[in-house]
Amino acid sequence: MRFATLVLVLLTATLAAAEQRWTIGVSQCNLGEPWRVQMNNDLKQAAMAHPELTMVFKDAQNDTLRQRAHVEEFVDARINLLIISPKEAQPLTQPVAQAMDAGIPVIVLDRKVSGDRYTCFIGADNQLIGQAAGAWIAKALSGGGKVVELKGLMTSTPGQERNHGFRDGIKDSKVEVVFEADMKWLEANARKEMESALTRFPDLKLVYAHNDPGAHGAWLAAKAAGRENDIIFVGIDGLPQEGQQYVRQGILAASFEYPTGGREAIDAALKILAGGTVAKDIVLTSRVFTPANIEKGGEVVGR
Amino acid sequence: MIPVFRSAWLHQPATRACAALALVLVLGALFNADGAFFSAATHRDTFRAVSIYGILACGMTLVVVAGGIDLAVGSVLGLAAVAFSTVAIHWGWPVWAAIPVTLALGAGCGAVSGGLVSIFRLQPFIATLAMMVFARGTAKWMCGGEKVSTAVAGADGNFTNLPLPAIYDTLNARLFGGTVAVVTLVFFACVAVCWVLLARLRVGRHLYAIGGNEEAARLSGVPVLRAKLLAYSACGALAALAGICQAGQEMQGDPEAGTTYELNAIAMVVIGGTSLGGGRGGIVLTLIGALTIGYLEKILSINAVGEAARLMLTGGIIVGAVLLQRSRR
Repeated sequence: MRFATLVLVLLTATLAAAEQRWTIGVSQCNLGEPWRVQMNNDLKQAAMAHPELTMVFKDAQNDTLRQRAHVEEFVDARINLLIISPKEAQPLTQPVAQAMDAGIPVIVLDRKVSGDRYTCFIGADNQLIGQAAGAWIAKALSGGGKVVELKGLMTSTPGQERNHGFRDGIKDSKVEVVFEADMKWLEANARKEMESALTRFPDLKLVYAHNDPGAHGAWLAAKAAGRENDIIFVGIDGLPQEGQQYVRQGILAASFEYPTGGREAIDAALKILAGGTVAKDIVLTSRVFTPANIEKGGEVVGR
Repeated sequence: MIPVFRSAWLHQPATRACAALALVLVLGALFNADGAFFSAATHRDTFRAVSIYGILACGMTLVVVAGGIDLAVGSVLGLAAVAFSTVAIHWGWPVWAAIPVTLALGAGCGAVSGGLVSIFRLQPFIATLAMMVFARGTAKWMCGGEKVSTAVAGADGNFTNLPLPAIYDTLNARLFGGTVAVVTLVFFACVAVCWVLLARLRVGRHLYAIGGNEEAARLSGVPVLRAKLLAYSACGALAALAGICQAGQEMQGDPEAGTTYELNAIAMVVIGGTSLGGGRGGIVLTLIGALTIGYLEKILSINAVGEAARLMLTGGIIVGAVLLQRSRR
């Protein structure tokens, strides 16, 4: 009799637990970028602490229509919540709105959709990060100096904002950008462009690259020319295995974090699933990692 | 026209390829970016930057001469960079094991493409397009989508750095008083080997014969299947070698490395004057073609030309160079 009760209690508990299971669909626009791989890893890691969450990941491989199909598949599968990092705003606005109509809350990560038919947007501000980098560089080169800017892709929003923010950050300083080139976010291209900059200017003081691989490529070029100790290298993204490691190794003087928002998205998802409310727009704070503060976990910048 | 300009050597493909290169060099002398074009470092860096594409173009020449094409070289490069970095950095394999295994992997990819083309009669474009997608997928799967670098996550989530094998520094070094990059020497070695293969060995004659007329070659006793398999395997192995060099240059294995490099390699082969129809061309032409594109990129780079203008100028100059190539019979 006692045993039967125990079984009954256990069974009820299991059923109750089973009822509280949530399935979260994650639609990622492109896993070809290390930063987005990191975003998925952050989501996975944060979700691991919550056994009631089942995560389903889909990678649209940089294809808008494929991502649209993924969202529709998630809606048909009746998931409990959708996390999407859209490739483009306009074409994905309607599928996201349809998910909302089907009663599925949507968290939009990093890139926005048009209008307000989503539950919550979480993202960092490239303009602010570029500005913080500019201000840091203006301070590091208070006596002025020649700077190389290795731009991501000037036809992409992050590239434009990291450029505009930076120019804004250095506008009242004596910093002079003498060489700029698109390296399309790629290390091999950054190295080639930096080689050209090195042959043209014997007195470069600093390299500002729109991502850490770009800054690393520039450092490799300077190292080959024996000039890596005369030049300061600054990058953006601050991934743990990339930018933060470069700072630790003394390759970069600073790496500005572009947070993925993975952990924050899971926090918000748990609140929404529990019936609570979250802010409509959550802007993530960024940190700067330098050799001085890296072991303390960096320092908050901007705002 | 003055008789001297009608002499035979002027109509040699090599002469015309050199004319295209000379045209680009003249552009460099005109737009020399405050004299930067005349510094020795500019030329050394051009040769370094062109080396990886050039190694791919060497393998591509073998396949194109035989009337084929290999779209998979860029992906095989990425796969090789990941595989080499995994075994050399993470597993600590010695160089004498890591390099042959990586080359064999590349040759295996090439052999599969070659088998699909010669045994199953798939069109080279389709067979190697499939291999291009497959090899890229394998590269991503092998490393879980992340770059294979010296940074590895410990159990506590913190990253530590493994030592970088000496081969990476070797591939990144310069020799002869800092005048030549090691990868450039690797490129020249590939040119030499492919030159012997195409111009001095029987299999080279076979490849030209197959490219010229495959059916005629078969009927005259050329071992078509074997020669094609060899061409595609060698192309794959060279792509893997380029991948090892790329990994050395970046100090890591990037699964995205080599994306769209196949187009550069094909452009270098064609600008040199090797016919995409097969049967005509050669490795020296590819060397000249590689330098033409390399110098063009360098001149645009030292002048810090904007991306939009760069793409338009590159397209225009490629057409100009190929028109210069055409015989005026």
